[in-house]
Amino acid sequence: MKLEDVLSSRLRIRIIKVLIQVGELNVSEIARRINANYKSTSMHLKILEDEGVLQHKTYGRIRLYRLNQSSPRARAVQNLVEIWEHANKGERQDYSGMSGVNF
Amino acid sequence: MMSRYKSVFKDETKLDINYVPYKLPHRDRELRLLTEFFSFILQAPGKMAQRIVIAGDVGSGKTVLSQRFGMNATREAEKRGINLHYVHVNCREYRGSLFLILYHAVSVFHPSFPKRGYSAEELLQILLQILDEQDAYVILTLDEFESLIEREGTEAVYKLTRLQETRVNKPQRLSLICVMRNLKILEKLDASTRSTLQSNVIHLKKYSKRQLVDILSDRVSLAFKPLTVPEDTVSLIADIASSEGGNARFGIELLWRAGKYADADDLSVVTPECVRKAASSIYAVMRKSEAAYLSLHEKLFLLGIARFFKESERAYASLAEAEQAYAVVCEEFNVKPRSHTQLWKYLRTLSAVGFVKTEVSENIGSRGRSTLIYLPRISAHELEKELTALLEKDV
Repeated sequence: MKLEDVLSSRLRIRIIKVLIQVGELNVSEIARRINANYKSTSMHLKILEDEGVLQHKTYGRIRLYRLNQSSPRARAVQNLVEIWEHANKGERQDYSGMSGVNF
Repeated sequence: MMSRYKSVFKDETKLDINYVPYKLPHRDRELRLLTEFFSFILQAPGKMAQRIVIAGDVGSGKTVLSQRFGMNATREAEKRGINLHYVHVNCREYRGSLFLILYHAVSVFHPSFPKRGYSAEELLQILLQILDEQDAYVILTLDEFESLIEREGTEAVYKLTRLQETRVNKPQRLSLICVMRNLKILEKLDASTRSTLQSNVIHLKKYSKRQLVDILSDRVSLAFKPLTVPEDTVSLIADIASSEGGNARFGIELLWRAGKYADADDLSVVTPECVRKAASSIYAVMRKSEAAYLSLHEKLFLLGIARFFKESERAYASLAEAEQAYAVVCEEFNVKPRSHTQLWKYLRTLSAVGFVKTEVSENIGSRGRSTLIYLPRISAHELEKELTALLEKDV
Protein backbone atom coordinates (compact mmCIF):
# COMPACT_ATOMS: atom_id res chain seq x y z
CA MET A 1 0.00 0.00 0.00
CA LYS A 2 1.26 3.49 -0.78
CA LEU A 3 2.09 5.87 2.07
CA GLU A 4 -0.65 8.31 1.04
CA ASP A 5 -3.19 5.47 1.14
CA VAL A 6 -2.12 4.22 4.57
CA LEU A 7 -2.12 7.68 6.13
CA SER A 8 -5.19 9.00 4.33
CA SER A 9 -7.57 7.64 6.96
CA ARG A 10 -8.49 9.66 10.06
CA LEU A 11 -9.33 6.47 11.95
CA ARG A 12 -5.95 4.90 11.20
CA ILE A 13 -4.17 8.04 12.41
CA ARG A 14 -6.31 8.03 15.56
CA ILE A 15 -5.47 4.35 16.16
CA ILE A 16 -1.77 5.12 15.90
CA LYS A 17 -2.09 8.10 18.25
CA VAL A 18 -4.02 6.08 20.84
CA LEU A 19 -1.49 3.25 20.79
CA ILE A 20 1.45 5.66 21.09
CA GLN A 21 -0.29 7.14 24.12
CA VAL A 22 -1.37 3.94 25.89
CA GLY A 23 1.08 1.31 24.65
CA GLU A 24 -1.26 -1.58 23.90
CA LEU A 25 -5.01 -2.16 23.77
CA ASN A 26 -7.59 -4.70 22.67
CA VAL A 27 -9.85 -4.13 19.67
CA SER A 28 -13.00 -3.11 21.58
CA GLU A 29 -11.13 -0.57 23.66
CA ILE A 30 -9.41 0.90 20.59
CA ALA A 31 -12.83 1.15 18.89
CA ARG A 32 -14.27 2.90 21.95
CA ARG A 33 -11.40 5.37 22.16
CA ILE A 34 -11.41 6.33 18.48
CA ASN A 35 -15.19 6.43 18.44
CA ALA A 36 -15.66 3.82 15.69
CA ASN A 37 -17.42 0.48 15.45
CA TYR A 38 -15.71 -2.87 16.04
CA LYS A 39 -15.81 -4.05 12.43
CA SER A 40 -14.34 -0.91 10.97
CA THR A 41 -11.68 -0.75 13.71
CA SER A 42 -10.68 -4.37 13.00
CA MET A 43 -10.34 -3.56 9.31
CA HIS A 44 -8.07 -0.56 9.93
CA LEU A 45 -6.01 -2.53 12.44
CA LYS A 46 -5.48 -5.24 9.82
CA ILE A 47 -4.31 -2.68 7.25
CA LEU A 48 -1.87 -1.14 9.72
CA GLU A 49 -0.60 -4.57 10.71
CA ASP A 50 -0.18 -5.68 7.08
CA GLU A 51 1.91 -2.55 6.48
CA GLY A 52 4.13 -3.42 9.45
CA VAL A 53 3.06 -0.46 11.58
CA LEU A 54 1.29 -2.57 14.23
CA GLN A 55 1.59 -6.05 15.66
CA HIS A 56 -0.71 -8.06 17.85
CA LYS A 57 -0.60 -10.84 20.40
CA THR A 58 -3.48 -13.20 21.06
CA TYR A 59 -4.47 -14.28 24.56
CA GLY A 60 -7.43 -16.64 24.31
CA ARG A 61 -10.11 -14.51 22.65
CA ILE A 62 -8.28 -11.25 23.34
CA ARG A 63 -6.10 -9.55 20.74
CA LEU A 64 -3.78 -6.87 22.08
CA TYR A 65 -2.40 -4.42 19.50
CA ARG A 66 0.70 -2.29 19.84
CA LEU A 67 3.17 -0.49 17.60
CA ASN A 68 5.59 -2.88 15.93
CA GLN A 69 8.76 -1.55 17.52
CA SER A 70 10.98 -3.72 15.35
CA SER A 71 9.64 -2.07 12.19
CA PRO A 72 11.35 1.11 10.87
CA ARG A 73 7.96 2.16 9.49
CA ALA A 74 6.37 2.08 12.95
CA ARG A 75 9.24 4.06 14.43
CA ALA A 76 9.02 6.62 11.62
CA VAL A 77 5.25 7.03 12.10
CA GLN A 78 5.72 7.35 15.87
CA ASN A 79 8.37 10.06 15.31
CA LEU A 80 6.08 11.91 12.94
CA VAL A 81 3.15 11.84 15.38
CA GLU A 82 5.27 12.87 18.36
CA ILE A 83 6.96 15.74 16.54
CA TRP A 84 3.62 16.87 15.15
CA GLU A 85 1.85 16.76 18.52
CA HIS A 86 4.79 18.44 20.26
CA ALA A 87 4.82 21.24 17.68
CA ASN A 88 1.06 21.70 18.07
CA LYS A 89 1.46 22.00 21.82
CA GLY A 90 4.25 24.57 21.30
CA GLU A 91 2.06 26.59 18.93
CA ARG A 92 -0.75 26.59 21.47
CA GLN A 93 1.66 27.89 24.09
CA ASP A 94 2.97 30.56 21.68
CA TYR A 95 -0.53 31.80 20.96
CA SER A 96 -1.92 31.41 24.44
CA GLY A 97 -1.07 35.00 25.36
CA MET A 98 -2.95 36.41 22.34
CA SER A 99 -6.54 37.54 22.82
CA GLY A 100 -9.25 35.98 20.68
CA VAL A 101 -7.35 32.74 20.03
CA ASN A 102 -9.17 29.67 21.33
CA PHE A 103 -7.99 26.08 21.12
CA MET B 1 0.33 35.27 62.98
CA MET B 2 0.57 31.46 62.77
CA SER B 3 2.73 29.80 65.39
CA ARG B 4 5.73 27.85 64.09
CA TYR B 5 4.62 24.24 63.53
CA LYS B 6 6.43 21.80 65.77
CA SER B 7 6.09 18.06 65.50
CA VAL B 8 7.32 15.06 67.42
CA PHE B 9 7.59 13.18 64.11
CA LYS B 10 10.72 12.87 62.04
CA ASP B 11 9.10 10.72 59.33
CA GLU B 12 5.59 9.48 60.07
CA THR B 13 5.45 7.41 56.85
CA LYS B 14 7.51 4.81 58.75
CA LEU B 15 4.33 4.13 60.75
CA ASP B 16 2.15 3.68 57.69
CA ILE B 17 0.40 0.34 57.33
CA ASN B 18 2.10 -0.19 53.95
CA TYR B 19 5.63 0.51 55.16
CA VAL B 20 7.85 -2.57 55.03
CA PRO B 21 10.84 -2.20 57.38
CA TYR B 22 14.22 -3.57 56.39
CA LYS B 23 14.54 -5.34 59.74
CA LEU B 24 11.74 -7.52 61.15
CA PRO B 25 12.34 -7.97 64.88
CA HIS B 26 11.44 -11.47 66.12
CA ARG B 27 10.58 -12.72 62.65
CA ASP B 28 14.10 -13.39 61.35
CA ARG B 29 13.75 -17.16 61.81
CA GLU B 30 10.51 -17.22 59.81
CA LEU B 31 12.06 -15.01 57.11
CA ARG B 32 14.99 -17.43 56.82
CA LEU B 33 12.58 -20.36 56.60
CA LEU B 34 10.59 -18.69 53.83
CA THR B 35 13.82 -17.93 51.96
CA GLU B 36 14.82 -21.61 52.31
CA PHE B 37 11.45 -22.79 50.94
CA PHE B 38 12.00 -20.63 47.86
CA SER B 39 15.74 -21.17 47.41
CA PHE B 40 15.07 -23.18 44.21
CA ILE B 41 13.72 -20.08 42.50
CA LEU B 42 17.21 -18.58 42.43
CA GLN B 43 19.09 -21.84 41.92
CA ALA B 44 16.88 -23.68 39.41
CA PRO B 45 13.96 -21.47 38.36
CA GLY B 46 11.19 -23.32 36.53
CA LYS B 47 12.16 -26.72 37.90
CA MET B 48 9.54 -26.56 40.61
CA ALA B 49 6.87 -24.30 42.11
CA GLN B 50 6.16 -23.76 45.75
CA ARG B 51 3.00 -23.40 47.83
CA ILE B 52 3.42 -22.00 51.30
CA VAL B 53 0.90 -21.12 53.96
CA ILE B 54 1.64 -18.36 56.46
CA ALA B 55 -0.79 -18.46 59.37
CA GLY B 56 -1.11 -16.24 62.41
CA ASP B 57 -3.42 -13.89 64.25
CA VAL B 58 -4.12 -10.28 63.26
CA GLY B 59 -1.02 -8.15 63.66
CA SER B 60 1.37 -11.08 63.97
CA GLY B 61 3.45 -9.89 61.01
CA LYS B 62 2.15 -12.17 58.21
CA THR B 63 1.81 -9.47 55.56
CA VAL B 64 5.02 -7.66 56.37
CA LEU B 65 6.92 -10.97 56.46
CA SER B 66 5.76 -11.98 52.99
CA GLN B 67 6.37 -8.50 51.60
CA ARG B 68 9.89 -8.29 53.07
CA PHE B 69 10.59 -11.73 51.61
CA GLY B 70 9.19 -10.62 48.22
CA MET B 71 11.42 -7.54 48.14
CA ASN B 72 14.52 -9.54 49.10
CA ALA B 73 13.75 -12.33 46.60
CA THR B 74 13.13 -10.03 43.63
CA ARG B 75 16.27 -8.00 44.41
CA GLU B 76 18.35 -11.19 44.57
CA ALA B 77 16.75 -12.55 41.37
CA GLU B 78 17.47 -9.31 39.53
CA LYS B 79 21.16 -9.60 40.44
CA ARG B 80 21.17 -13.08 38.87
CA GLY B 81 19.24 -12.04 35.75
CA ILE B 82 16.10 -14.00 36.70
CA ASN B 83 12.83 -12.34 35.71
CA LEU B 84 11.02 -12.81 39.04
CA HIS B 85 7.97 -10.81 40.10
CA TYR B 86 6.47 -10.72 43.55
CA VAL B 87 2.75 -9.95 43.38
CA HIS B 88 0.92 -9.30 46.65
CA VAL B 89 -2.88 -9.38 46.47
CA ASN B 90 -5.26 -8.82 49.34
CA CYS B 91 -8.11 -11.22 48.48
CA ARG B 92 -10.55 -9.30 50.67
CA GLU B 93 -9.94 -6.11 48.70
CA TYR B 94 -11.01 -8.05 45.61
CA ARG B 95 -13.93 -9.60 47.51
CA GLY B 96 -12.38 -13.02 47.19
CA SER B 97 -12.96 -13.12 43.43
CA LEU B 98 -10.44 -15.36 41.66
CA PHE B 99 -11.04 -13.43 38.46
CA LEU B 100 -10.15 -10.05 40.01
CA ILE B 101 -7.14 -11.51 41.81
CA LEU B 102 -5.76 -13.00 38.59
CA TYR B 103 -6.61 -9.83 36.72
CA HIS B 104 -4.42 -7.92 39.16
CA ALA B 105 -1.55 -10.33 38.42
CA VAL B 106 -2.03 -10.02 34.64
CA SER B 107 -2.18 -6.23 34.83
CA VAL B 108 1.35 -6.23 36.31
CA PHE B 109 2.51 -7.32 32.84
CA HIS B 110 -0.20 -5.72 30.68
CA PRO B 111 -1.67 -2.68 32.49
CA SER B 112 -4.31 -2.08 29.79
CA PHE B 113 -5.53 -5.68 29.59
CA PRO B 114 -9.32 -5.71 29.02
CA LYS B 115 -11.47 -6.46 32.05
CA ARG B 116 -14.25 -8.35 30.28
CA GLY B 117 -14.80 -11.15 27.82
CA TYR B 118 -13.24 -14.19 29.48
CA SER B 119 -13.48 -16.41 32.55
CA ALA B 120 -11.16 -16.84 35.54
CA GLU B 121 -9.92 -20.16 34.05
CA GLU B 122 -9.04 -18.44 30.77
CA LEU B 123 -7.34 -15.66 32.71
CA LEU B 124 -5.17 -18.20 34.52
CA GLN B 125 -4.09 -19.66 31.16
CA ILE B 126 -3.45 -16.12 29.87
CA LEU B 127 -1.24 -15.39 32.89
CA LEU B 128 0.80 -18.52 32.20
CA GLN B 129 1.06 -17.66 28.51
CA ILE B 130 2.39 -14.21 29.43
CA LEU B 131 4.91 -15.73 31.86
CA ASP B 132 6.07 -18.19 29.18
CA GLU B 133 6.46 -15.39 26.61
CA GLN B 134 8.44 -13.22 28.98
CA ASP B 135 10.34 -16.10 30.58
CA ALA B 136 9.08 -14.75 33.91
CA TYR B 137 8.28 -16.27 37.30
CA VAL B 138 5.71 -15.04 39.78
CA ILE B 139 5.38 -15.50 43.51
CA LEU B 140 1.73 -14.69 44.05
CA THR B 141 0.83 -13.90 47.65
CA LEU B 142 -2.85 -14.34 48.41
CA ASP B 143 -3.30 -12.31 51.58
CA GLU B 144 -6.51 -12.85 53.56
CA PHE B 145 -6.82 -16.15 51.72
CA GLU B 146 -10.01 -16.90 53.69
CA SER B 147 -11.96 -14.52 51.42
CA LEU B 148 -11.01 -16.51 48.32
CA ILE B 149 -12.08 -19.81 49.91
CA GLU B 150 -15.35 -18.30 51.18
CA ARG B 151 -16.23 -16.83 47.81
CA GLU B 152 -14.90 -19.35 45.30
CA GLY B 153 -14.73 -22.57 47.28
CA THR B 154 -12.46 -25.52 46.75
CA GLU B 155 -12.51 -25.59 42.93
CA ALA B 156 -10.65 -22.28 42.49
CA VAL B 157 -7.97 -23.16 45.01
CA TYR B 158 -7.55 -26.59 43.40
CA LYS B 159 -6.98 -24.94 40.02
CA LEU B 160 -4.38 -22.61 41.47
CA THR B 161 -2.47 -25.26 43.33
CA ARG B 162 -2.52 -27.95 40.64
CA LEU B 163 -2.20 -25.94 37.46
CA GLN B 164 1.13 -27.49 36.52
CA GLU B 165 -0.59 -30.80 35.86
CA THR B 166 -1.94 -29.37 32.60
CA ARG B 167 1.55 -28.11 31.65
CA VAL B 168 3.62 -31.25 31.40
CA ASN B 169 7.32 -30.60 30.59
CA LYS B 170 6.87 -26.83 30.75
CA PRO B 171 8.66 -24.61 33.29
CA GLN B 172 6.81 -24.10 36.57
CA ARG B 173 6.29 -20.39 36.76
CA LEU B 174 3.69 -19.65 39.43
CA SER B 175 4.33 -20.13 43.14
CA LEU B 176 1.88 -19.29 45.89
CA ILE B 177 2.05 -17.88 49.38
CA CYS B 178 -1.32 -18.15 51.10
CA VAL B 179 -1.65 -15.84 54.08
CA MET B 180 -4.42 -16.54 56.56
CA ARG B 181 -5.39 -16.15 60.18
CA ASN B 182 -6.54 -19.62 60.96
CA LEU B 183 -5.90 -22.96 59.27
CA LYS B 184 -9.39 -24.12 60.19
CA ILE B 185 -10.79 -22.58 57.01
CA LEU B 186 -8.76 -25.12 55.00
CA GLU B 187 -11.24 -27.75 56.18
CA LYS B 188 -13.60 -26.34 53.57
CA LEU B 189 -11.23 -27.55 50.84
CA ASP B 190 -11.16 -31.05 49.41
CA ALA B 191 -8.63 -33.46 50.87
CA SER B 192 -6.20 -33.28 47.97
CA THR B 193 -6.02 -29.45 47.87
CA ARG B 194 -5.74 -29.36 51.65
CA SER B 195 -2.82 -31.74 51.71
CA THR B 196 -1.04 -29.75 48.97
CA LEU B 197 -1.33 -26.59 51.01
CA GLN B 198 -0.68 -28.01 54.45
CA SER B 199 2.71 -29.47 53.63
CA ASN B 200 4.53 -26.16 54.16
CA VAL B 201 3.03 -24.04 56.90
CA ILE B 202 4.77 -21.21 58.72
CA HIS B 203 2.98 -20.42 61.98
CA LEU B 204 3.50 -16.98 63.42
CA LYS B 205 3.05 -16.92 67.17
CA LYS B 206 1.48 -13.94 68.90
CA TYR B 207 4.03 -11.31 69.88
CA SER B 208 4.76 -11.11 73.59
CA LYS B 209 4.83 -7.75 75.34
CA ARG B 210 8.64 -7.76 75.33
CA GLN B 211 8.68 -8.44 71.58
CA LEU B 212 6.15 -5.66 71.00
CA VAL B 213 8.39 -3.25 72.92
CA ASP B 214 11.26 -4.16 70.55
CA ILE B 215 9.08 -3.64 67.44
CA LEU B 216 7.70 -0.33 68.70
CA SER B 217 11.14 0.90 69.75
CA ASP B 218 12.45 0.22 66.23
CA ARG B 219 9.60 2.23 64.73
CA VAL B 220 10.07 5.03 67.29
CA SER B 221 13.68 5.47 66.19
CA LEU B 222 12.63 5.54 62.50
CA ALA B 223 9.58 7.78 62.82
CA PHE B 224 10.10 10.12 65.80
CA LYS B 225 12.62 12.80 66.69
CA PRO B 226 15.10 11.77 69.42
CA LEU B 227 13.82 11.81 73.02
CA THR B 228 10.19 12.50 72.07
CA VAL B 229 8.80 9.06 73.03
CA PRO B 230 9.63 8.00 76.62
CA GLU B 231 10.03 4.32 77.55
CA ASP B 232 6.85 4.45 79.64
CA THR B 233 4.84 5.44 76.60
CA VAL B 234 6.25 2.57 74.53
CA SER B 235 5.58 0.18 77.38
CA LEU B 236 1.96 1.31 77.74
CA ILE B 237 1.37 0.90 74.00
CA ALA B 238 2.93 -2.57 74.11
CA ASP B 239 0.63 -3.47 77.02
CA ILE B 240 -2.47 -2.36 75.13
CA ALA B 241 -1.34 -4.11 71.91
CA SER B 242 -0.56 -7.22 73.92
CA SER B 243 -4.08 -7.24 75.36
CA GLU B 244 -5.33 -7.02 71.75
CA GLY B 245 -3.85 -10.45 71.06
CA GLY B 246 -0.25 -9.31 70.51
CA ASN B 247 -1.36 -7.17 67.59
CA ALA B 248 1.73 -5.24 66.42
CA ARG B 249 -0.20 -3.44 63.69
CA PHE B 250 -2.59 -2.12 66.31
CA GLY B 251 0.37 -1.02 68.45
CA ILE B 252 1.99 0.86 65.54
CA GLU B 253 -1.30 2.54 64.68
CA LEU B 254 -1.70 3.52 68.33
CA LEU B 255 1.85 4.91 68.39
CA TRP B 256 1.14 7.07 65.32
CA ARG B 257 -2.16 8.29 66.72
CA ALA B 258 -0.59 9.11 70.10
CA GLY B 259 2.02 11.17 68.23
CA LYS B 260 -0.80 13.05 66.50
CA TYR B 261 -2.44 13.81 69.86
CA ALA B 262 0.92 15.11 71.15
CA ASP B 263 1.24 17.38 68.08
CA ALA B 264 -2.35 18.59 68.42
CA ASP B 265 -1.74 19.51 72.09
CA ASP B 266 1.56 21.18 71.14
CA LEU B 267 3.55 18.81 73.37
CA SER B 268 7.23 18.10 72.83
CA VAL B 269 6.87 14.55 74.19
CA VAL B 270 4.35 11.75 73.51
CA THR B 271 2.92 11.18 76.98
CA PRO B 272 0.97 8.14 78.26
CA GLU B 273 -2.11 10.38 78.34
CA CYS B 274 -1.72 10.84 74.53
CA VAL B 275 -1.76 7.03 74.26
CA ARG B 276 -4.93 6.77 76.34
CA LYS B 277 -6.69 9.40 74.22
CA ALA B 278 -5.55 7.61 71.06
CA ALA B 279 -6.70 4.20 72.31
CA SER B 280 -10.24 5.39 72.93
CA SER B 281 -10.50 6.74 69.38
CA ILE B 282 -8.88 3.89 67.48
CA TYR B 283 -11.27 0.97 67.81
CA ALA B 284 -14.09 2.24 65.59
CA VAL B 285 -11.89 3.60 62.80
CA MET B 286 -10.08 0.38 61.95
CA ARG B 287 -13.01 -1.39 60.26
CA LYS B 288 -14.97 1.60 59.02
CA SER B 289 -12.51 2.65 56.32
CA GLU B 290 -12.93 -0.74 54.66
CA ALA B 291 -16.55 0.09 53.80
CA ALA B 292 -15.30 2.10 50.83
CA TYR B 293 -14.47 -1.14 48.98
CA LEU B 294 -18.08 -2.35 49.00
CA SER B 295 -20.35 -2.11 45.95
CA LEU B 296 -23.34 0.27 45.94
CA HIS B 297 -25.91 -2.36 46.92
CA GLU B 298 -23.63 -3.96 49.51
CA LYS B 299 -23.33 -0.52 51.12
CA LEU B 300 -27.12 -0.01 50.95
CA PHE B 301 -27.74 -3.44 52.48
CA LEU B 302 -25.20 -2.83 55.24
CA LEU B 303 -26.73 0.58 55.92
CA GLY B 304 -30.13 -1.10 56.30
CA ILE B 305 -28.64 -3.56 58.79
CA ALA B 306 -26.84 -0.76 60.72
CA ARG B 307 -30.08 1.22 60.96
CA PHE B 308 -32.00 -1.82 62.11
CA PHE B 309 -29.61 -2.28 65.03
CA LYS B 310 -29.48 1.42 65.80
CA GLU B 311 -33.24 1.71 66.00
CA SER B 312 -34.19 -1.65 67.53
CA GLU B 313 -31.40 -2.02 70.10
CA ARG B 314 -31.56 -5.75 69.43
CA ALA B 315 -28.53 -8.00 69.12
CA TYR B 316 -29.74 -10.10 66.17
CA ALA B 317 -31.74 -9.48 62.99
CA SER B 318 -33.35 -12.07 60.75
CA LEU B 319 -32.61 -11.93 57.01
CA ALA B 320 -36.25 -10.86 56.41
CA GLU B 321 -35.82 -7.93 58.81
CA ALA B 322 -32.54 -6.93 57.18
CA GLU B 323 -34.19 -7.18 53.77
CA GLN B 324 -37.01 -4.90 54.91
CA ALA B 325 -34.55 -2.32 56.25
CA TYR B 326 -32.63 -2.51 52.95
CA ALA B 327 -35.85 -1.87 50.96
CA VAL B 328 -36.46 1.31 52.99
CA VAL B 329 -32.88 2.49 52.36
CA CYS B 330 -33.26 1.80 48.61
CA GLU B 331 -36.41 3.91 48.57
CA GLU B 332 -34.61 6.72 50.36
CA PHE B 333 -31.74 6.67 47.85
CA ASN B 334 -34.14 6.16 44.94
CA VAL B 335 -32.52 2.90 43.84
CA LYS B 336 -34.35 -0.26 42.72
CA PRO B 337 -33.81 -3.01 45.34
CA ARG B 338 -32.06 -6.21 44.29
CA SER B 339 -33.64 -9.66 44.58
CA HIS B 340 -33.64 -11.91 47.64
CA THR B 341 -31.08 -14.25 46.01
CA GLN B 342 -28.76 -11.33 45.33
CA LEU B 343 -29.04 -10.22 48.97
CA TRP B 344 -27.88 -13.67 50.03
CA LYS B 345 -24.74 -13.12 47.98
CA TYR B 346 -24.21 -9.67 49.54
CA LEU B 347 -24.62 -11.18 52.98
CA ARG B 348 -21.93 -13.73 52.18
CA THR B 349 -19.56 -10.96 51.03
CA LEU B 350 -20.28 -8.76 54.07
CA SER B 351 -19.68 -11.78 56.27
CA ALA B 352 -16.44 -12.67 54.46
CA VAL B 353 -15.22 -9.07 54.83
CA GLY B 354 -16.10 -9.15 58.55
CA PHE B 355 -18.70 -6.38 58.75
CA VAL B 356 -21.43 -8.75 59.85
CA LYS B 357 -21.51 -12.25 61.25
CA THR B 358 -24.23 -14.78 60.61
CA GLU B 359 -25.41 -17.79 62.50
CA VAL B 360 -28.08 -20.34 61.76
CA SER B 361 -30.79 -20.78 64.37
CA GLU B 362 -33.35 -23.57 64.74
CA ASN B 363 -36.88 -22.17 64.60
CA ILE B 364 -38.69 -23.19 67.72
CA GLY B 365 -42.22 -24.42 67.07
CA SER B 366 -41.88 -24.33 63.29
CA ARG B 367 -39.99 -26.26 60.67
CA GLY B 368 -36.71 -25.22 59.10
CA ARG B 369 -33.85 -22.96 60.16
CA SER B 370 -33.26 -19.25 59.76
CA THR B 371 -30.21 -17.05 59.42
CA LEU B 372 -29.49 -14.47 62.10
CA ILE B 373 -27.25 -11.49 61.44
CA TYR B 374 -25.25 -9.52 63.99
CA LEU B 375 -22.57 -6.79 64.05
CA PRO B 376 -19.33 -7.92 65.70
CA ARG B 377 -17.44 -5.12 67.49
CA ILE B 378 -18.74 -2.35 65.23
CA SER B 379 -20.92 0.45 66.53
CA ALA B 380 -24.13 0.71 64.49
CA HIS B 381 -24.09 4.52 64.93
CA GLU B 382 -20.54 4.84 63.57
CA LEU B 383 -21.25 2.43 60.72
CA GLU B 384 -24.39 4.31 59.72
CA LYS B 385 -22.53 7.63 59.73
CA GLU B 386 -19.69 6.23 57.62
CA LEU B 387 -21.97 4.51 55.08
CA THR B 388 -24.22 7.53 54.68
CA ALA B 389 -21.19 9.68 53.91
CA LEU B 390 -19.90 7.12 51.38
CA LEU B 391 -23.32 6.69 49.73
CA GLU B 392 -23.76 10.42 49.29
CA LYS B 393 -20.68 10.28 47.09
CA ASP B 394 -21.89 7.16 45.19
CA VAL B 395 -25.56 7.95 44.48
